Amino acid sequence: MKAIFTLIIALFATASAMAAPVELNSEVYVERLQKRADGSVATILEAPKLVVPGDQLVFVVRYKNAGKQPASNLSVTNPIPRAVAFSGTADGTEFVSVDGGKSWGTLAKLKIGKPDGTFRPALPSDVTHVKWTLNQTLAAGSVGKLVFRGVVR
Amino acid sequence: MLRTSSHRIHSRAAFLRHVSASVLAVTICSALPAGTAHAAGTLAGTNIENIATASFDTGSGTVNIQSNAAVILVDELIDVTVASTDPGDVPTTPGAANAVLAYRVTNNGNGPETFRLTANVANSGDDFDPALSQLVIDTNNNGVYDAGVDTIYVAGTNDPLLQPDQNVVIFVLTNIAPTQANGERANVSLLATSTTGTGAPGTTFAGLGEGGGDAVVGTTEGDGIASGFLRVDAASVSLVKSAIVADAFGGNNAVPGSTITYTIVASVSGSGSLNNLVINDPLPSGTTYVANSMTLQATSLTDAADTDAGNFNGTRISVSLGTVPSGETRTITFQTRIQ
Repeated sequence: MKAIFTLIIALFATASAMAAPVELNSEVYVERLQKRADGSVATILEAPKLVVPGDQLVFVVRYKNAGKQPASNLSVTNPIPRAVAFSGTADGTEFVSVDGGKSWGTLAKLKIGKPDGTFRPALPSDVTHVKWTLNQTLAAGSVGKLVFRGVVR
Repeated sequence: MLRTSSHRIHSRAAFLRHVSASVLAVTICSALPAGTAHAAGTLAGTNIENIATASFDTGSGTVNIQSNAAVILVDELIDVTVASTDPGDVPTTPGAANAVLAYRVTNNGNGPETFRLTANVANSGDDFDPALSQLVIDTNNNGVYDAGVDTIYVAGTNDPLLQPDQNVVIFVLTNIAPTQANGERANVSLLATSTTGTGAPGTTFAGLGEGGGDAVVGTTEGDGIASGFLRVDAASVSLVKSAIVADAFGGNNAVPGSTITYTIVASVSGSGSLNNLVINDPLPSGTTYVANSMTLQATSLTDAADTDAGNFNGTRISVSLGTVPSGETRTITFQTRIQ
């Protein structure tokens, strides 16, 4: 354990030494349905004070180029927590993996091997990782956010 | 419940501290059983931790970075159901002691929970209220009440603690009044109540959830109830006796020397059966019994008290019919001679 610890610290010390100008920030919200006074129902996002199985979660990953130089080929990967069933992203521009990050593609093209040797189409709940690749260069000072949703298993 | 607030990392020191904390959190997390294996959902107390990683190119090469860990703690959902495990009405008899009804109490929540049990014998929609004897926990888990083996339930003392998805069978024992009539039904219900609390769905008990989170009442409102039914099966017997007189001259006059053939038809009605049914008939005065004249279902019986069903002891005939199910009849005949 101690050895792993030291290794990880060393890894990040190296990354840090390269003066990473891009910052990444992860947030999570719970989606709730709230009845308005007129009887209509509004969907609101709130801080996850109370979370039980079945709740809808919204994950927001914000990125910012805090350095003075532009950054190119930005790729953001988010492993889906085990207790969360992925349900989709806001923009649909993502690639996903259903095998722990070994292979990637759009969900429609991925398949899951069944015990009998046949394959079935992958479902959102099979997703283990989600990844976005930005084609454009991230200019100094520019920001963006990536959003995906999931349900507490 | 929000465990750590997400925040931006500005200094290298803060970054390292944060990474160390998140590595620890991951280690603790992986020691927990996988939440997805439960029908009840992710176990209460599980941390859901989200970390994003990114790579990008600068003038000096590719850089990999990691976000903070946004961690939420899964709170405890209180959910319980009770169901009768009896396939239908449970037959009982008038005066029965400890008639057994069985119920299954299931924890559908995502945390271990203790349940208080209450039986109610005075429900509407039935014909009578049996007397509650006791509640028994199916300790040996075989679904069948075993007197002296299964544990008697005492509220507040041995309230069952159920893990997520776990269930326990509870027996409700009642006594039936001897006067209860055939076909009458009794509705006996069992209520299981979470000891953490009950209320409308969404009611929250701060800090009372498993793993340090809150406990929130699920759709079953923190309690469950189910009814089981007892049905009284009472059988009764009616006897019809007829006589045919035959005189020595081919007529049917009752004169000295005439033979009287008695026929007794025993009809069992109601539900269930009668056990150890014995028909006794004393001889009328002024008559003598015709030796070995007894028949049961047209089969001759001997007068001796032996292996067959009938005997004559000098003053009465007696026929043991054993167990007779309702809806069946038994016909006995015997003959006497007028002195």
